Amino acid sequence: MARTLAMFTDVSLCIGCRACQVACKQWNQLAPEEPEWTGSYQNHPHFTDKSYRLVRFFEEPDDKVGIRWHMMSDVCKHCAQAGCLEACPTGAIYRTDYGTVNINQDICNGCRYCVSACPFGVVAFNHDTGTATKCTFCNDRIHNGLGPACAKACPTESIRFGFRDELADKARKRVEELRKMGYKDAQLYGEDQNGPLGGLNAFFLLLSKPSIYGLPEKPKLPQRNVFVDSLLSIGAAVAVGLGAVVAFRGRGVREDS
Amino acid sequence: MEPGLLKSADWPLLIDVYFFLGGIAGGAFVIATIANLLDRQRYRDVVRVGYYIALLAVLPGAIFLIVDLGLPTRFLHMIMVAKPSTEIGMDAITVGPFHLKPLSPMNAGAWALLGFSFFAFLAALDVFREDRGGRSMGALRALAGIIGSGFGFFLAAYPGVLLGATARPLFINAHWLGALFLAVGGSTGAAAIALVLSLMGGEQREALSRLMRFTAFALVVQAAALILFIVAVSSAGSAGLSKALAGLLSGPYSLTFWLGAVVVGLALPLVLQFAGAIKRTTPGMAALVSLLVLVGGFIVKYVIIAAGQAT
Repeated sequence: MARTLAMFTDVSLCIGCRACQVACKQWNQLAPEEPEWTGSYQNHPHFTDKSYRLVRFFEEPDDKVGIRWHMMSDVCKHCAQAGCLEACPTGAIYRTDYGTVNINQDICNGCRYCVSACPFGVVAFNHDTGTATKCTFCNDRIHNGLGPACAKACPTESIRFGFRDELADKARKRVEELRKMGYKDAQLYGEDQNGPLGGLNAFFLLLSKPSIYGLPEKPKLPQRNVFVDSLLSIGAAVAVGLGAVVAFRGRGVREDS
Repeated sequence: MEPGLLKSADWPLLIDVYFFLGGIAGGAFVIATIANLLDRQRYRDVVRVGYYIALLAVLPGAIFLIVDLGLPTRFLHMIMVAKPSTEIGMDAITVGPFHLKPLSPMNAGAWALLGFSFFAFLAALDVFREDRGGRSMGALRALAGIIGSGFGFFLAAYPGVLLGATARPLFINAHWLGALFLAVGGSTGAAAIALVLSLMGGEQREALSRLMRFTAFALVVQAAALILFIVAVSSAGSAGLSKALAGLLSGPYSLTFWLGAVVVGLALPLVLQFAGAIKRTTPGMAALVSLLVLVGGFIVKYVIIAAGQAT
């Protein structure tokens, strides 16, 4: 396997221009969509089958300044342990040699299990093609020596692209810098490979706690449940099976007819 | 966690119907097998009807699954693709064009559906030959019954495990859905057999009485699993979860849940049974209890899936 690639999104540099969103649409030839009013500059409310990058806008109440305004360019996290990939019954979702997660459109049969298995609500179903879609990490570009379109377009280098280990070092330095500058809540999200989901290959620097950005504090791989749930099912199977044996065994409840 | 940010697969009613039919098929097959092994002659009608129901219930279910796919022509991709990718899961086993992913209940379920259909077909074929005056392949039928029962249990339970392996707040901490769905499979499978027997006429009192006895037992397991599910979800905490659970217990789905799943599906049939349907089973009483169990069994699956997908 080649060296793992990553994207690092530093929200402290994001100006909410949405150039990433536009670049993503252009490169991946994603069709236009009806705009939706979300109450802020954000459009759409969630990832869709035609929006793989999404700049989110959040307002956090603050005692000192009234309201703190957050902007964050959100994207598929390309989890090291990916719920969508494990859920996929067809093997259409696979891990590339760069460690990213991609959906093979020629294999996906549109069962939509991955849609409900993503801990971040990223994967979306495309009703036109009948398949599930999400950020490809610009699979075509990275295999030809280019970075993802969003990172290329970002004017403030809020989105950075590179080898995961190098980016993680940069991210750790940056968070120290910000803390010294007084952003005491600055933290990395998904950078730790021993953390939830084995780390995210698209990780973030946040200026506040993850829930402010609509991110789960401790995302969990849904497939972790399969073992315990199966054991409990086997227990129920034993009970029901024994119940049937008891019900059909022994002296008849036959009454004289 | 903001549950609103998560996405739902938006599976339509067709999938609920498949889960319901799969449960009936698995349950009826297991009951027929146990009756067949214990006393083939005495329970001849239970065995016949059970194996026929198993086959007839599983076939449309498989069709519903295929119809619901975004690209139905690719239904075979559930178990095989011509050129599989290399890294398709931490537990994936690939043999030639075939792949098995034990951590993906949908993939494992597709395999189980295939295996179950095969043994359900064998068993139904053997019963059919016997009905036509031919001789049953006794030992072979017993073997098909035993192996098929493993698949039958799997078929009844896996949809619950499948839901538990999603990120939906109501499901991810539920843990008991597989057990619940299995118990529903048992109760509805027995109820389906009992309903047919009670309509068939003839001397069915003993068979019906035993089926009612088993149904009552399965309903108790079902009630226990339902309570444990609610306890597991409510003790997991977090705002998203309580909202999801509230949707089921006191929100938009509460009427369907309490009236359909609890009163019609559990309380009424249990009361009727302990009031006499087990000891002195009349065909009419057995048919009434069976209908209640079938309706309640569908509703409990439907309402949990609907509430889980909505919140």
